[in-house]
Amino acid sequence: MQDTGKNIIIAGVGGQGILLFSNLLSKFYMKLGYELKISDVIGLGQRGGGVESHFRYSNKPVLSPFIKAGDVDFVISFEQTETLRYLHSLKEDGVVFSSTYELTSTSVNARLEKPMAECKTEMIKRSENKTFIIDPEEHKSPDFNISKMMNVVMLGYYAEFRGYSHDDMIQVVKDNVPAKFIEGNLKAYEKGAAIARAELATKESVSSNC
Amino acid sequence: METGNDIASMQMMNGNEAVARGAFEAGVKVAAGYPGTPSTEVMEYTHQRYSDIYCEWATNEKVAVEVAIGASFAGYRSLALMKTVGLHVAADALGGAAGSQINGGLVLVVSDDVGRLAGDDYNDCRHYGNMFNIPVLEPSDSQDAKDLMVKAFEISEEYSTPVILKTTSVTCKTTSPVKIDENYTYEAKCRDKYPVSFSKVIMTTMMMKAKGSEHPKLTKCFNDFPAHMKRLAEDSNDAGFNKLELNGKKIGVITAGTPYYYAKEVLPEASFLKLGLVMPLPERKIRELAEHVDELYVIEDGHDVIEKNIKDLGISVIGKELWPKFPVMTRFTPDIIEEKLVPDAPKRTPQEGVPFRLPVSCAGCSHLFVSNVLKKHKIKAAADVTCGLIGCFPHMESYSLQKCMGSSISLAHGYNLAKENKENFVAMIGDGGFWATGINGLMNLIYNNGQSTVIIVDNNCLAMTGGQNVASSEFGFNYKPENKLEIAKVCEAVGVKDITTVDPYDIGSLEEAIVNAVNAKTNSVVIVQKPCVTKFKLPKDTPSYIDQEQCVQCRKCINVGCLAIESKKAKDGSVKIVINEDICTGCRLCSTVCHKEAIKN
Ligand SMILES: Cc1ncc(C[n+]2csc(CCOP(=O)(O)OP(=O)(O)O)c2C)c(N)n1
Ligand code: SF4
Ligand code: SF4
Repeated sequence: MQDTGKNIIIAGVGGQGILLFSNLLSKFYMKLGYELKISDVIGLGQRGGGVESHFRYSNKPVLSPFIKAGDVDFVISFEQTETLRYLHSLKEDGVVFSSTYELTSTSVNARLEKPMAECKTEMIKRSENKTFIIDPEEHKSPDFNISKMMNVVMLGYYAEFRGYSHDDMIQVVKDNVPAKFIEGNLKAYEKGAAIARAELATKESVSSNC
Repeated sequence: METGNDIASMQMMNGNEAVARGAFEAGVKVAAGYPGTPSTEVMEYTHQRYSDIYCEWATNEKVAVEVAIGASFAGYRSLALMKTVGLHVAADALGGAAGSQINGGLVLVVSDDVGRLAGDDYNDCRHYGNMFNIPVLEPSDSQDAKDLMVKAFEISEEYSTPVILKTTSVTCKTTSPVKIDENYTYEAKCRDKYPVSFSKVIMTTMMMKAKGSEHPKLTKCFNDFPAHMKRLAEDSNDAGFNKLELNGKKIGVITAGTPYYYAKEVLPEASFLKLGLVMPLPERKIRELAEHVDELYVIEDGHDVIEKNIKDLGISVIGKELWPKFPVMTRFTPDIIEEKLVPDAPKRTPQEGVPFRLPVSCAGCSHLFVSNVLKKHKIKAAADVTCGLIGCFPHMESYSLQKCMGSSISLAHGYNLAKENKENFVAMIGDGGFWATGINGLMNLIYNNGQSTVIIVDNNCLAMTGGQNVASSEFGFNYKPENKLEIAKVCEAVGVKDITTVDPYDIGSLEEAIVNAVNAKTNSVVIVQKPCVTKFKLPKDTPSYIDQEQCVQCRKCINVGCLAIESKKAKDGSVKIVINEDICTGCRLCSTVCHKEAIKN
């Protein structure tokens, strides 16, 4: 079945390259001829704040820049507290991609709020949605700094999951990343795709119904 | 797909980029503004991409609007850019331009922080449209933003009035496709129609038929602005930017901005009047929609401005009784509309207990050094609007008073004179706040014999808005070294008795400078000089780490307020205080507060 479009929330904290991630994804979907609306509203101010991007592509013009809770197909999250913030907004068959990276909330550091008692990774796994957890610690590589390039790792992962042409996606990366960073980015991209391949081989394939 | 063929002329732009493009296509010659989230990038894009347009960051918004008024009187299309709190500063200038004759189109691009996403007060710039009787346009996406920007200049010239183009944090930061005419070539538009342009004072003199007001010397200044607004209101009934979509007869929605799209998605069957011009209103179209539907709603972000104006026309609409505004709601979302108008829609509840994220200062920021010295010596202080205002937050408590941009010097002055200088209440201000309006506070303090201490955190830019230049910066759109202003010299010229300049990383000297200044029974300024570590990507030192053997978890270092220091739960449930080595700049501030010498390099 032809993909008529998807609603994606991309979440994390400042400095994780979320804007680049959504930018690369938008270039990719533009090339496929989709209509797009991307809202990077949250996370304007200082460091330490959350970043939340609403990314919608469709074969019809996109109306609302914000996705209604319940209409989200994918949550792609680079920080697991942020993953928890958006879980409720997924569709029943929505999918979660979440890094296990965690930056303690500043309000917890300042003791204005209590830390969550339970292990966040377990909470995410327990959700009724299909979840893909990526632990950057497990995938450290001498070729690139995974803590800085999780965005491109995630891009490779997502492309593999969706069954997209890696050549096309890699071309988008090449066209939009400064020349001196391309090599590292490609390594990161391939890593993401490889992790996804291994993961998908163990899970039942879900890409067919997307 | 439909768009396949003209993809070459479709570009993805956020609202700020689209406004800049609109300015270019409108043939704007002069752009002056003052940074403010979320619309700062309008100027940055204009400067980067459309070098035909002269750009300047003015010292404050009032100055920016005055510059634009001057350029407009010279016949050229000009724009002034600011956020809504900035329009409060510039309101007097706008009031002067309103009601007077306009040569080159004059447009103020003003951005409301709907949803308080950048943490500002709940303002709505459209009130100025009502107050000054000037048109306000409100785009709902990037295409609209570009088109309405061009339209704004046409309206300004055709109806001889300044025009406000209102954007919001949502329109500014949402990216959507914009049709670009690749063949467009820039030409600065010029219209030299009126040899004089006085403010509406002259007009009112004539309207009241004051004695001698028929004299040609006066009539040539006459601008019947109420008549122009009436004509615009009438014409707006047929204008393409106010779109009437008559569909289902049950629900009708009058809306503007992004709420149009939220409502459209939630209520696909409803009839709509989407306003591009929210002031003045197209009365005929509103009545037509009211006749067509059973229930008529107004869905608008910000205050109930459209709603009130429609009610003033004697048309009944449902708005804030259904959606009470601030503090119940800060901005619309599709969910909020659905909850009230689609009662059987499924409800979703967020996960409980997910902690919110408080903003913090960057690791290595000079503000942290100042905050910590004030706290250590229990010096009471007022903060200005700067990155340093994070020191007001409860875990830091370095500042007990904080108001608007440029205010801290006068706040401290007022406090100290009321307390007869017994408490040495200090003012902290950024270099930006200082030049914006703080300098007025300083002059006032001096010639009124004030005795306050002012700490000026000179980080070479307006950091909080992303690092734009100020008068004392060593860069900028129009930077020339010989024109750079020196904070210390200006303070001296103004008459400050005691001026010290210090590098905050030399924390001993910083402490000494602040303590001495506070104790000196005279007015004094301490200039804390260090470029913003983030804007200027200062080189990092070896990161610090916490020796867990020595750490007693007193949390003193966490309350320094540095982003790099975290309290982390290990897998076994124990809590540790750790330093994130990717974030730490090795500035060593935290080690100065640790009594156990647990923080090492
Ligand atoms: C009247 C007004 N205009 C603009 C702003 C937006 N604004 C907030 S902080 C800031 C920059 C402050 O720069 P500076 O005073 O140099 O302090 P820094 O952040 O660099 O420490 C600006 C322009 C505002 N809050 N109020
Ligand atoms: S942006 Fe600059 S001034 Fe602002 S908190 Fe970061 S380092 Fe400090
Ligand atoms: S040395 Fe301490 S205060 Fe300075 S950046 Fe590192 S953790 Fe933050």
